Order: sequence, then structure tokens, then C-alpha cells
Amino acid sequence: MHEMSIAMEVCRITREQVGDEGCGRVLEVGLEVGDESGIEADNLLFWLEILLAEPPFCGARPGLRRVPGDVLRVTHLEVEDGGPED
Amino acid sequence: MAVRRIEVRERVMARNDELAKEIRKRLAEAGVPSLNLVSSPGAGKTLLLERTLEALGRELALAVVTGDVQTENDANRLARHTDALVQAVVTGGGCHLDARQILTALEQVDLARTDLLLIENVGNLVCPASWDLGETAKVVVFSVPEGEDKPLKYPKMFREARYAVLNKIDLLPHLSFDLAQAVAYAREVNPGLRFFFTSAVTGEGLEEWLGFIRDLAAGEASA
Repeated sequence: MHEMSIAMEVCRITREQVGDEGCGRVLEVGLEVGDESGIEADNLLFWLEILLAEPPFCGARPGLRRVPGDVLRVTHLEVEDGGPED
Repeated sequence: MAVRRIEVRERVMARNDELAKEIRKRLAEAGVPSLNLVSSPGAGKTLLLERTLEALGRELALAVVTGDVQTENDANRLARHTDALVQAVVTGGGCHLDARQILTALEQVDLARTDLLLIENVGNLVCPASWDLGETAKVVVFSVPEGEDKPLKYPKMFREARYAVLNKIDLLPHLSFDLAQAVAYAREVNPGLRFFFTSAVTGEGLEEWLGFIRDLAAGEASA
């Protein structure tokens, strides 16, 4: 029911890692969603697809993995490693 | 172009939980226990709190933070029964209170002169289960007209709660509600739940609840 808030927090965590620059730099946002996390995975996916389509993500794909327990976390990001600072 | 993988492993609720930790620290320093009341809409949280404030508002300094989706009706109802501060949080459609809202509301509460903090969450048995508000314990309120299988339908909430209030027991003679079954279902998901059976309308069963609030405020309950 609060999947949108969760999706927004996932975006915040992602921005914290990669910053606001580089439209399209993030390719995938990996998540683990526990069966008992109180989160409906399909609904979270729906919101993530909407939010990750917008800048600064510009089409990053959500990679949801369902796991047992009440885990709910961002596991990894896949980013294009093209910047001069990298 | 090379693709790099960044390991994050950050819990999505981490930020809320940090703020909840801050709340817990402030309340502990001030010696203020706190209850987070959660229920579906219409289970009777506000009336139960009204009765609590009516009965104990003069002997105890009870601070209340109440969350409402669109109005301040609950806060207005509660403010009629107490001189203590009632803080309203209008969530504007949000289905739960979060730790940031509580931290902001607490800026208006004089914790040094508070015996107990009562938080009335938004009426919803799903969302509030996921948000730690830094409270001492959650109290799940459910009522006779809702049916005895609420604990099975919303197990996360009943697992997160340490106390359960079954309200509107004055309606038991009129409805086919199996009280023993309701308690059994609740204990199935959370064997340690302590139950209160109340009618906020007739006052039946309120003594035990009020005694619990009194003990908690005095630091004598093990919440």
C-alpha cells in the first residue's frame, strides 16, 4: 500500500550512490524484497518503472529478487562506467 | 562501454530507522514511554484515546501525536479532553506516519513535563507496520464488527504489536463474533500478545487498559 514511498526511497538511495548527473548512467537497480516485508513486489515494480523512467535515471531497470523473510533492501547498482572520474 | 556493479546492500527503511533511533534516544533520556496505536479505520482508536485522556488527563501528563489523512478531526476531538498538547499530523493521503513526522511533532512537546506519549497512527493495518516511530511498543486495536480473522489477514501488524485491544465488545451479543477464535488467531501469529477487551462507548473493560497506561507512565509496566 505504501509501495510508492518505498520506490521513492529506493531512488533516493540510488542518487546517493551515483549523484544526479548522467541521464541513463544507471542501468539496473537491484533489490531484494522479502515475502514478509509487507511489500507487494508487483506494485513496487510498477512504481519503480515509473520513477526510474524519469531523470536522473532515464530508464534504469528495476531488478527485483524475491527472498524469504522481511528483508527489503537495495542490493546493487549496475552503472555505465564511462565517466572520466571513474 | 564498461558496466560496473556497485554493491549497496542498504535497507530501504534505513533512513527512517535512524530517525526512529533518535526519537527512542530522546524519549529514553526524558524517561517518557510511548505507545503507537494502529488499527484499521473506524476501530475506535480516537474514542479509546478520548476515554484515556478523560480518565487520566488530570493525574498524568499525556502528550498525543495524531495522524489523520485529510482532516484534523481526530486532533480536535482529543484536544477537547486535555490541556496537554495534541499535535496533529495531516498526512495528505499518506497511509502511515513516519519517524520524520514524529520527530517534527516532538519539537512542540515538552518532554521534560510529559509522563507518556501516545501516537495515534493513520487508520490502516498494512503500512504503519513497516515504519518504526521510535515507540516503546505498538498497540494494535481491532473491533468486533471487523471479524475474528483480522490477525490472520494482517499478520505483520499483529506480529509487530506487543499489545492488542479488542474494542466494541458491547456489540458481542449482536454479532456472530467468536472471541476465543479471535484471540487464538492473534496468538497464532504472535504468542506473546497481551490483550485488552474494551468498549470505549460503554466503558466496559477500560479499567484494565487505564491501569496499564498508569503503570506504563509510572515506569512500572514492562512495555
